[in-house]
Amino acid sequence: MDLPNLSELLQYIFDGLSTGAIYSLLALGLVIVYRGTGHLNFAQGEMATLCTYIVWVLQDRGLPLFIALVVGAVIGFVFGAGVELTLIRPVAKKSPFAVLIVSIGLFLGINSLTNGIWGAPPDEAMGSLFPNEPGDLLKIGKASLRYEYIGVLLVGLALAGLLMVLFNKTRFGLAMRAVASNAESSKLVGISTHRVLMASWGLAAALGAVSGTMIAGINDQVTPGMMFGIFVYASASATLGGLDSIGGAVIAGLSIGVVENLAANIFPDWIGQEMRLGVALLIILVVLLFRPTGLFGSSKVERV
Amino acid sequence: MNALLDVVGLSAGYGPLSVLDKLSLQVAEGEVAVILGSNGAGKTTTMRAISGIIARTGTITFAGKRIDTASADAIVRAGIAQVPQGRGTFPELSVVDNLRAGAYTRKDGEIAADIDKWFSVFPRLDERKDQRAGSLSGGEQQMVAIARAMMSRPRLLLCDEPSLGLAPLITKDLFDTIARLNRETGLSVLLVEQNANLAMSIATSVYLIETGRIVASGSAEEIAGNDSIRKAYLGY
Repeated sequence: MDLPNLSELLQYIFDGLSTGAIYSLLALGLVIVYRGTGHLNFAQGEMATLCTYIVWVLQDRGLPLFIALVVGAVIGFVFGAGVELTLIRPVAKKSPFAVLIVSIGLFLGINSLTNGIWGAPPDEAMGSLFPNEPGDLLKIGKASLRYEYIGVLLVGLALAGLLMVLFNKTRFGLAMRAVASNAESSKLVGISTHRVLMASWGLAAALGAVSGTMIAGINDQVTPGMMFGIFVYASASATLGGLDSIGGAVIAGLSIGVVENLAANIFPDWIGQEMRLGVALLIILVVLLFRPTGLFGSSKVERV
Repeated sequence: MNALLDVVGLSAGYGPLSVLDKLSLQVAEGEVAVILGSNGAGKTTTMRAISGIIARTGTITFAGKRIDTASADAIVRAGIAQVPQGRGTFPELSVVDNLRAGAYTRKDGEIAADIDKWFSVFPRLDERKDQRAGSLSGGEQQMVAIARAMMSRPRLLLCDEPSLGLAPLITKDLFDTIARLNRETGLSVLLVEQNANLAMSIATSVYLIETGRIVASGSAEEIAGNDSIRKAYLGY
């Protein structure tokens, strides 16, 4: 065990927050879909990868990365909405398990697609949204806070904040919350549940575009399997946060990022980089044992 | 008498199970029409078919316009609101958000004023406006459901067994409220009830439903005055 000094501790927490912000964004995509339909979208990570490749193509054609990301997110939105309309909705009527199978099929399908088109060398080099030269960092004591990580964290928090406003302050957010709460009554007040579900899937895919592009920026490249690990952390974050809570997904994502990073660096020998995921899963197991609805999930209590 | 709602030959069901068999009924402007019938006769299915929640065939005309192929949200916009069976609320949403959701189809500037209005009709809800609707008592939830339905400013209110699971005194209050809305605002009401006596007390016209079809209908006086019907449905 290596007990960290203050600078190291700051470094570990900061790096953890930054990766946690990416888990949170992908987890938010899971939460938005789950709230609408009660399904865990297994293809969330792969949808993000596909969107990131679209961003890469646009960037490769000479578009500034930020513009490429905005366009990629819009294309992602349309793609996500299209998936709901053409694949999810027809089977959702039949059975919840069918949706599960379709989302697993989508996961495999998109993965084969990205592998088929972009899998072979050379690597698809991805730029970063933020300054990421070796010297682009903020020194606090011995800790170096890289601008890129600061940027990722800020974007993550800003998007989570925007989503909270969308959910709690807008007419569309009210419709999303109403559909999550009682689908039939939503129809009876004139909410088009179809449109809400399509928009939810679209929003989830657009969030995937952002998280995927930021991960690719940190890795300097896009690879077909880059979201595998992130997706596991993201679903862990969504579960820990309670699956239907926006704030919960953000807090859980950041916490998992910090705890796994601390654990990996404080116990480099018997946790290290290889066992990080185990730490995250252990936390979830313990939390769910004592709070089955997650940390911030709403328990379905209803007086009749 | 010009019918506000005119249902002719309505059939509907669930998958292969057909529940309604060419049912016809009318609701005149400003009246309280009541559908009486036993469990499983098709009362709730009738309501769901009119609101466009389930697939249906037949003609449904509302205020002179055909609505039998319209989507549920178009029917709300046309002026029909339903208080569904059970608790038609959004349990996870606050009381005030339930009312806001009720006004979802509206774009005018009077939504906040309407919320205040319904809080003055149901002062209990004003005290609990920030609580989750699911944490309220059954009677309070039914008030939320009615206020929520009225927030769309309907011309016709469909009420599906509002008395279900409520104490008699609370049920009586609810029926008084429905009757008052009808009297004071001219709101037309189509009410489904198992509690026949209570429903008859506010009804202007009555339909008796059996296995998916209307077997008898008439004004409240006619139905109450018919001995065999009274024995079978009202139990005295």
